[in-house]
Amino acid sequence: MNLASFQYLSRRDALQRAAGGFGWLAASALLADETRAAANPLAPKKPHFPARAKRVIFLFMKGGPSHLDTFDPKPLLDRDDGKPFPAAKPRVQFAATGELLKSPWKFQNHGKSGLPVSELFPNVAQCVDDLCIVRSLHGTNAAHGGALLKLHTGSDNFVRPSMGAWVNYGLGSENQNLPGFITICPTLAHGGVNNWGAAFLPAAYQGTPLGNAAIPVTAATVRHIKNTRLTPTQQRAQLDLLAQMNRDHLAKAGPNPALEGRLNSFELAFRMQIAMPEAQDLSKETEATKKLYGLDDKVTENFGRQCLMARRFAERGVRFIQVTHSDGDVQWDQHGNLRKGHTKNAAEVDKPIAGLLKDLKARGLLKDTLVLWGGEFGRTPAAQGARDGRDHNPEGFTMWMAGGGVKPGIAYGATDDYGWFAAENKVHIHDLHATVLALLGLDHERLTYRYAGRDFRLTDVHGHVVKEIFA
Amino acid sequence: MIYDRTNTGFMGRFLINGLMFFLAAVPLHAADTAGVEFFEKRIRPILVERCYECHSAQANKVKGGLRLDTREALLKGGDTGPALVPGDPDKSPLIKAVRYKNQDLQMPPKSPLTPGQVRDLEQWVKMGAPDPRAVAAVSPSGRREINIEEGRKFWAFQPLANPVVAKIQSGRNAIDAFILAKLAEKGLRPAPPADKRALLRRATFDLIGLPPTPAEMQAFLADQSPDAFARVVERLLASPQYGERWGRHWLDVARYADSNGLDENVAFGNAWRYRDYVVNAFNHDKPYDQFLVEQIAGDLLPTAENVAVKHERLTALGFLSLGPKLLAEPDKVKLEMDLIDEQIDTLGRAVMGMTLGCARCHDHKFDPVATEDYYSLAAIFKSTRTMDDLKTIAKWHEPLMALPEDFKANADHEKRVAAQKETITKFIAEANRALLIALKTSTLPPKPESRYPTNTTAELEKFRSELARLQKEAPELPSTMGVTEATNVVRAFPVHIRGSHLTLGKAVSRGVPPVMTISAQPKFAEQQSGRLELARWLASAEHPLTARVMVNRIWRWHFGRGLVASTDNFGALGERPSHPELLDWLARQFIASGWSVKALHRLIMSSATYQMASEAADASPLVLFGKDRERAASRSSVSTGEDSENRFYARFHQRRLEAEEIRDALLSVAGTLDLTMGGKTLPLKNREFVFDHTSKDATTYASLRRAIYLPVIRNHLYDLFEQFDYPDPAVPSGSRNTTTVAPQALLMMNSELVREAAEKFAAHLLAQTKLSDAKRVELAYVKAYGRPPTVRELDRAQRFLGQNTDKNGGATGAWEMFCQALLAANEFIHLN
Repeated sequence: MNLASFQYLSRRDALQRAAGGFGWLAASALLADETRAAANPLAPKKPHFPARAKRVIFLFMKGGPSHLDTFDPKPLLDRDDGKPFPAAKPRVQFAATGELLKSPWKFQNHGKSGLPVSELFPNVAQCVDDLCIVRSLHGTNAAHGGALLKLHTGSDNFVRPSMGAWVNYGLGSENQNLPGFITICPTLAHGGVNNWGAAFLPAAYQGTPLGNAAIPVTAATVRHIKNTRLTPTQQRAQLDLLAQMNRDHLAKAGPNPALEGRLNSFELAFRMQIAMPEAQDLSKETEATKKLYGLDDKVTENFGRQCLMARRFAERGVRFIQVTHSDGDVQWDQHGNLRKGHTKNAAEVDKPIAGLLKDLKARGLLKDTLVLWGGEFGRTPAAQGARDGRDHNPEGFTMWMAGGGVKPGIAYGATDDYGWFAAENKVHIHDLHATVLALLGLDHERLTYRYAGRDFRLTDVHGHVVKEIFA
Repeated sequence: MIYDRTNTGFMGRFLINGLMFFLAAVPLHAADTAGVEFFEKRIRPILVERCYECHSAQANKVKGGLRLDTREALLKGGDTGPALVPGDPDKSPLIKAVRYKNQDLQMPPKSPLTPGQVRDLEQWVKMGAPDPRAVAAVSPSGRREINIEEGRKFWAFQPLANPVVAKIQSGRNAIDAFILAKLAEKGLRPAPPADKRALLRRATFDLIGLPPTPAEMQAFLADQSPDAFARVVERLLASPQYGERWGRHWLDVARYADSNGLDENVAFGNAWRYRDYVVNAFNHDKPYDQFLVEQIAGDLLPTAENVAVKHERLTALGFLSLGPKLLAEPDKVKLEMDLIDEQIDTLGRAVMGMTLGCARCHDHKFDPVATEDYYSLAAIFKSTRTMDDLKTIAKWHEPLMALPEDFKANADHEKRVAAQKETITKFIAEANRALLIALKTSTLPPKPESRYPTNTTAELEKFRSELARLQKEAPELPSTMGVTEATNVVRAFPVHIRGSHLTLGKAVSRGVPPVMTISAQPKFAEQQSGRLELARWLASAEHPLTARVMVNRIWRWHFGRGLVASTDNFGALGERPSHPELLDWLARQFIASGWSVKALHRLIMSSATYQMASEAADASPLVLFGKDRERAASRSSVSTGEDSENRFYARFHQRRLEAEEIRDALLSVAGTLDLTMGGKTLPLKNREFVFDHTSKDATTYASLRRAIYLPVIRNHLYDLFEQFDYPDPAVPSGSRNTTTVAPQALLMMNSELVREAAEKFAAHLLAQTKLSDAKRVELAYVKAYGRPPTVRELDRAQRFLGQNTDKNGGATGAWEMFCQALLAANEFIHLN
């Protein structure tokens, strides 16, 4: 399990700094203020250009929700229900598919924008004027593992830093007592830790998981955040002893910023023990707020808590927050039981998501928080099995954004007439990454890290910023 | 880098042809006027609006090297042929791309042209693609040609030099001569010798990854003979724990793991055999050249008489098979090529210090390795079978490791199954006969079993469930992760243009990178994959990289920094050697000793360079090396500021313990460490899911065995490993980082591991009923730090114990708190 890193000092980095002139003085200053930019890789950094968003909340729907049944209505699919797909299916498919299957759900236009949303999302539909619905996403991998890795790291066959890690590397964090990248109840399958890992970036940038998909969010904590045996007073006494021992050792060893950094890390850890549970504590939220997120309903409670917690982290300056909707099955993966499965899944997330959007807006946070919604791929217009299921479809699918400098109340791009392939204003996963970075004020071609003799990027050698969706 | 079909698309088909630029427009023939008009009116606007962004001189980056802003560039196209064939739209890639029918070739990438625009382009090509635009002059090729002769001049590809050792001073060895010469050149002075306590602690962790016991410390302090330290080194090299420590170094390089990671995280249930092979190889000082050959071609070595030797060689092949694989990749051709890529890349980094993987998509941008060289290697691995089945979830090959008794057990079991089946058949025959008699008929009714008497049915059921149980208990023949030969030897393998199996180029035959080939290419056996020749080429004394890379690794593991700091990259973007002569001298010594790793340890550890103090020289008095004492004393004004990174080894580096050392030291001091060696420790069946969609974690790390035996789960490392800079087990790594992060502190403060170690440590101290508290504190310091406490420390400890003793006089809690502080402190996890 990897915990986030609040203070990071590699010996070599520290020594390089020493060589660069800060030397012993900078190292001493650590004792007074460890958040000094000179010493702290998570200190806030200036973006490449003015940012439209300061932070990201990524609502990840694991398993691949169907765009055709949620945000991308297809009249021709309704018309040609039961007929064969009239064009070539992809060269590589995950599994065999049958004839076209129309959506079992009705779409209705909503809001001033008049954008269509299916009846699966009645609450999110009320927020449609805040959404920027991108209907032309496409990826490369038709299996969950590859697609999750591609979406989170930009690569499905190499271990690469995750999107949140890159963002923290580029911007640092605004709260030094909390991790800069938190992922709430992530799945451990299909890439697992790599989906929030730092890979070759310094460990300070990796995501901190709160629990995992197997446990309810009420039980999700950061590992080792609590001492189960000592009282705070006892622990304080113990840490004071430890600090004295470390100072004596340092005096003998001579100037050594790495040793000092470690001395200091215990103080930071002690403060984290207070800051983290406070951020996770929903008890002080008003009843109205709890209701807004659906905490009063068993169906929506778990995801509602995750969303509310995400807002609390956002308020406290956490840079990248991921909320995963995943359970013991591959949640949104309805090869069969589409009607039942998607109904259940949408019911669990619809109200909490709408609650989050409304709450962020009411608190003035939406304007500089980018909310991103979607899964690792969409689903095929062709049916599987007993005509109540759809296969994986990385060729064309929908994700939406809200807040953070995107045009509200628009749909961008389109799939073909049946919704299989992205067709107009196509947005590849790499383009999505380039765009998210751009919204945060980062140039995806300049955000590089040299490793093993090469400068790496989140977008590898690809990526176009979709400026058309900028507000 | 991987070819990404949706995003590179059309431009992916064309290689950079060179830089081109506009010249003035040239006059046209009158006959072309109509065509030109068509071009100007219909075609140029399309190109300008939809293509130039990526395919012209004004593009930020010309995609795929294809430019459409000059006639010549358009006609020249890329390596798969011209962008268009004038007069033949159907043969023109450009037309195919804009038609958007081929999923792998669609342009413009974001959205198609209108049907009218497509028709215009088709019409234009049919007309012969009249194009009035300037004929561009082509500058000298923009594509860097790889020049092997030039490439060989780079230091790493030069044959090993034979440097002359300078005069060796008394009490020092040849290594010191090289180091001192460089220090003198840089105006730096060496630190004095380390004190004996620091030296023993350093050497013990270094060679066996554990702290010295108080008895070992006592013995070394008492031994005043000149070879006291040499004997310590011998003792440690002979310890079985040596192989666990140094084998683990190699496992970093071999990206060892007990699970696949990547997309489908299933158990590598037999990877442990490779781990144990490596530990044994180090313990037995297996010559490194042999070690390499076994790992690359153990199955192809002349048949061993001894079955144990044969199995050992098969186990070594785990090196090629242990990589992370995209087991659910629906594109099976890509799955296989990704796998071969992983093997080539690992082999390149681990053995040659080269990033060969870069040449998969294009000629290496910095090193003289061409794409052709990459696919020549790929042909060898394409002739090798790593996978038995590519169906999701793909199945890797495992050679059998069965002994005669395993086969016998298997045969016996099959006999028991057959016997049970026979029993059932007989029983049914008998029951049917009885049924006929009972029904007074000569033909059996349909479903006769349904008409058996109840007790007969019950009995039959019993036999059947017994059979089912037997079948379930079928003994699995032992196997190990490894490769074998493919059915066919691939003698000609096409270059995959831009790394894609969808665009194949010219075929190449099996081979090794010519820039590293001092004499001729190996002669590959007609009927074998070529792995054996590849392995022998690598393990040869003539290879410019193999010995250099390995001695540099060993140096790095001793000194915290390689003579070439980038241990896994000896290429142009890697670092240059700080002491090139020493590196080559060591490489030659290594080869001359029969590639003996232990001989290299002796050589290195007997140097004064290894035995130097790590502190600033004026901080500690000198004790060792009588003859050098005065000289060292006179040099004690070393300024570390002049070489803050210690690139020239003016002192020994201080280092933090590595993850396994921290964990093992905790258990060692607590007295709970279990030194049992080897065997399977992963609590999962082979190929079983480590993590599936349930996200449930079945792996535990509560074992008291040494850390090398804890499961290494890709994508989900043990948190202590993760926090203390364990390398990513998906890629080879010869140089671990040392970072300091707050979660490390949380782990030391709050984890069960540290808490239990502190409790055991305290219990051990309290059990010494004859000792006073002061003596207990002293024992604690000696156990944890290899030294007694100072007066100040003793006072402080006693004060702390007093203050934290509870109201009823219970001191256990206070001792536990004190012990935990000792274990969490910097001194415990840092070496001088």
